[in-house]
Amino acid sequence: MKAPWILVGRNLRAHWLRTGLTVASLVFTLFLFCFLVSIVTTLEDVVRQSATNRLFVQSAVSLFQDIPLDYQSKIQNVPGAQQVTKFQWFGSYYQNRDNFLAQFGVDHEVLLDMYRREMDILGPDGRASEEARVAAHAALAADRRACIIGEGLARDFGFKVGDTIPLDSTFFRMTDGSSWDFNVVALYHPLKANFDDRQIFFRFDYLDEMRRAGRCLGSEGVGVYVVNVEDGHDSAQVIADIDGLFANGPQRTMTMTEAAFQALFVSMMGNVPFFLGSIGGAVVFAVIFSVVNTMLMSARQRTHEVGILKALGYTDRAVGGLLLVESLVLSLLGGGLGVLVAVTSAEPLRVLMGKFFPAYAVRPETAWWGLLITLGIGIVAGVGPALAAARLRPVQALRSEG
Amino acid sequence: MADQAMIRMRGVTKRYQRGGQLLTVLDKLDLDVPRGDFVALMGPSGSGKTTILNLVGGLDAPDEGSIAVADKDITAMSRGDLPGWRSRHVGFVFQAFNLVPVLTALENVLLPLNLQPLSRAERRKQAEFALEVVGLKDRMHHRPRQLSGGQEQRVAIARAIVTDPDLVLADEPTGDLDRESANVVMHLLRRLNDEMRKTLVVVTHDPVAADHARRVLHLDKGVLAREVTNPAPAGRSAAGAGGAR
Repeated sequence: MKAPWILVGRNLRAHWLRTGLTVASLVFTLFLFCFLVSIVTTLEDVVRQSATNRLFVQSAVSLFQDIPLDYQSKIQNVPGAQQVTKFQWFGSYYQNRDNFLAQFGVDHEVLLDMYRREMDILGPDGRASEEARVAAHAALAADRRACIIGEGLARDFGFKVGDTIPLDSTFFRMTDGSSWDFNVVALYHPLKANFDDRQIFFRFDYLDEMRRAGRCLGSEGVGVYVVNVEDGHDSAQVIADIDGLFANGPQRTMTMTEAAFQALFVSMMGNVPFFLGSIGGAVVFAVIFSVVNTMLMSARQRTHEVGILKALGYTDRAVGGLLLVESLVLSLLGGGLGVLVAVTSAEPLRVLMGKFFPAYAVRPETAWWGLLITLGIGIVAGVGPALAAARLRPVQALRSEG
Repeated sequence: MADQAMIRMRGVTKRYQRGGQLLTVLDKLDLDVPRGDFVALMGPSGSGKTTILNLVGGLDAPDEGSIAVADKDITAMSRGDLPGWRSRHVGFVFQAFNLVPVLTALENVLLPLNLQPLSRAERRKQAEFALEVVGLKDRMHHRPRQLSGGQEQRVAIARAIVTDPDLVLADEPTGDLDRESANVVMHLLRRLNDEMRKTLVVVTHDPVAADHARRVLHLDKGVLAREVTNPAPAGRSAAGAGGAR
């Protein structure tokens, strides 16, 4: 099909303001689409990448109801329960409440081994090694105030190994009003996208000691036990055994896989994924009208040109194709840029939203969907004017105002 | 004069629906234009002059009758075949010039050439030659809005002849021009007929412009009312001396 393709670029350039505004709306729309979809897929990834051979034991009443400390030895004796650690949400913040932190009191003896697949320990040279893990283990054992922190947190606040960090806790306030002090003994690097690089792990026995001494508020017990299931054992059976163990109290437990636990958290956000998806869809739908309007205006202004081209011998298909290609170029220019911005800004956005979406990423399929939608917008917006131009008789077109 | 008919219209009727009324613009018209002729169509508005050009150029179809151009019955051709035929055999010149404003003079002239099986270099060479013929090679990179009305029309003429068509159809080519520019354009058309042996059909209201034609056909209410043969068309000698500039 021979068509004067030069007219595509020339006409888009000739109406640069209209082209620019349409491209800008497409850039924004496709960026927003990719961003919102990526929020949803990030939440899905958190669940999907969570281990199914790691169990979370919590109170059957509520996550906020502590379970007794003496449960740990009983859980440890359940067949298939390889390692168990307390996992106590500390509810801390640094300097002011805006800087809230994901900080957990854990059993330092087993933590680094249990989370071997989730995090590497960085040595003084900033590189991960088994020596660094052994050294961190020893440092945790040697200092009751020791903690290890994620490299993201260290980057954000400038913390480094050897620093003492003063932190306040909303759940375990010091009775004298002072701050808790934690000594940074190691940094970790996450090995999974869903493992937050901004967490703090500290010794539970330090918390327990302070509580027993009356130095801080808070009740006795622990929010969650984390259990690693031994290879070859069925997680479902271990779950049943643990919950069966405490079926008659004093505190019934609800045990689930880490994946189910994360899914529970996502579901606590209600229908947010659906809501975000709907906004993304609505914005895309709205921009279709905008691009259709642009193309209709363009086609209307070009009716006379259509007549000229047909008089010169260009076929109906060539003239229609010209308008369709113009629509595709316009939408791919804007949509493609929008997708590009979404992809290239993923890492800065992940850092920016680290508190809420530490694993934020734009999946390749999201980008491809964005481009496909862009293509769809181009076709939908261009096909009407293209068909109208193709059907127009040359005489009719030439009679229109140029 | 030529011995073969370039245009043969037989019993051509064309009606238009206007304001709920069916108007007969051409009524069983018979018309012959020999090859190499230069015919001016004159007549009052609505007499069917432009309609004849549109029908002969294949831009519109008659309701009745047949039209043959260079022995090819174009009324029997499909809508899909007409553009290709038009690109090879007919050149159009319009009153409003009808240049594409976003293209330069050269690019406008290249438009019909893009449909021909020529190399890029050949197309460019041919387009530059056409612009040279109309005396505008030095303005080939100018956009239409950077040219005067007369220059725009000369670019349109270059575009009409660049594919070397047998037939050039001009609809009021001097209608939007001042007298001086109109003379230049008519001299140019005259040269196309004299030197390149193009068959020309020109619709005009202007008797001075019609003076350049070999024959003047007067239309009235869709029928041929009168035919006048011009024994000494204006500008012939001047054109022959290269006076079309």
